[in-house]
Amino acid sequence: MIYSIKQELYKLVHRKITWIAAIILFFLILITGFALADESKKLILTLTFDSSDFIMFILVIVGATCFSMEFQNNTILTLLYKSSNKIYVYLSKYIVLFLYDVFLHLLALFYTICLRYTIFNYQVNWSELYLYHQPVWLNMVTASLIDLVTTMLIIAIVFLLSCLINSSAIVITASLLITFMGQSISSDLMNGGKLVNIMKWNPFNMVDLTRQFGNYGMYVLTTHLNNQELLMGSLVYILIFVIAGYLIFRRKRF
Amino acid sequence: MRSSIALQVDNVSTYVGRTVLVNNATFDVKAGEIIGLIGPNGAGKTTIMKTILGLMKFKGKIEVNGKNVSENDHHALTKVGALIEHPAIYPFLTGMQNLTLYAHDQKDMANLISELQMDSYINNKAKGYSLGMKQKLGIAIALLNQPQVVILDEPMNGLDIESTIRVRKLIKRYSDQGTAFLISSHILSELQKVMTRVVLISGGQIILNKEVKEFEKISHQKYHLTTENNRLAKKIFAAYQITFTENENYLIVSQNDIYKIEDLLFNEGVHLKEILPLEANLERIVVDVLEKKRG
Repeated sequence: MIYSIKQELYKLVHRKITWIAAIILFFLILITGFALADESKKLILTLTFDSSDFIMFILVIVGATCFSMEFQNNTILTLLYKSSNKIYVYLSKYIVLFLYDVFLHLLALFYTICLRYTIFNYQVNWSELYLYHQPVWLNMVTASLIDLVTTMLIIAIVFLLSCLINSSAIVITASLLITFMGQSISSDLMNGGKLVNIMKWNPFNMVDLTRQFGNYGMYVLTTHLNNQELLMGSLVYILIFVIAGYLIFRRKRF
Repeated sequence: MRSSIALQVDNVSTYVGRTVLVNNATFDVKAGEIIGLIGPNGAGKTTIMKTILGLMKFKGKIEVNGKNVSENDHHALTKVGALIEHPAIYPFLTGMQNLTLYAHDQKDMANLISELQMDSYINNKAKGYSLGMKQKLGIAIALLNQPQVVILDEPMNGLDIESTIRVRKLIKRYSDQGTAFLISSHILSELQKVMTRVVLISGGQIILNKEVKEFEKISHQKYHLTTENNRLAKKIFAAYQITFTENENYLIVSQNDIYKIEDLLFNEGVHLKEILPLEANLERIVVDVLEKKRG
């Protein structure tokens, strides 16, 4: 398993997109900083300049090509026979994507801190109490940790789709639709009224976890779940999608 | 001796849904042996190779160095190298990085690079490689880490003459050191130069499994015959129901009839001028065997 993770890391480190995405993330954060000049500075810092959406976008692209490149280059055969079990191939990819996810979030935190003191020079005290009666710095760290869960849920869906569909373009499109339209799909599912108590547990609802953390009052009316429920739901769905994806991957003919 | 068997395929059947792709295949490869897996397109050569590598669902038993291989347990494949269908290469990595990804021993990797003469381009990105360069890199990946069993599917694809000779020598050197090879190729003349055993497959079934020397005997089953009076000889053969094929100046007869022919010609007073075993090339023999199998 460690050998498979090392191999996946080696490939990720040598892909241009890995590093280009990190640079693009900086410029997107910078542009967002200018665009949100009138918004609450504490909220901007908490949500690290809305980096969660950009990180999601990057992870969908990198994650979708994670499997498709193996299928296209015929490397999936070598990867499979050289690993002692198919599950290691699948899990190592998921773990490496998680590590990349952590790296992107750390980078977003770093960019945010740098921009706070340089270009934007926000007059915000890090220890000032903000959301959930916690200091701004803790809000920012908690939001990033919560976003790790939201993004890993999306990656689990990306992996599931990658095993069902060989075309990375279709996987990217479908994943982005789920990521950015999940909220409206979820609202539609809950429109019936009577089934809200059941439908509020639909997976699309969980995608709002990070957004709800930053703006509880507004999002809780849409999701009908509190933060803890959304977090638990996301973790359960991660488990379900990872297992379902692996079962499809196991049966896939190469 | 059982301990010298590097790969054992015992009653293996491979399925996709209800379709049987390989039916009850049984053969083994001893350490140092080079098996030529020959068969027409769609015969099941690649499927057998993929099955051995635990990439297909199968029934039966596959053992590598006495350890079981299953679809979900590849522990036995630690010392197996393979090149299946197309070289498995990441285009965004250099040739060296592609090798590093799998290599356990830097010295072994450097030796392969130099033996396959890849030094001039090994540090370039693989996306710029020609078909032959990719093929050599794929072969190098298969031969990394001193494997005990190597499976090569069409290894000579896209290789120029010099590279073909180099790869052939490399295969022979590894086999001398005890590596067992299972190689499929459409270039039968090339395969003939290295293989020690032939496994012929058609319609998912193994129809022949012989050592090369034994296999070549099949080529001596026909004889080239010239007498001082071929016209009379033909009449005699026809009268005694001896089958023959007529050519411009000679006749082709079966090995089984040779003694009978000699006696008959002697009795009829026809002198033999020449009698020679007819050599057929591997291609011809394979086609003959396959045609016989199809009826």
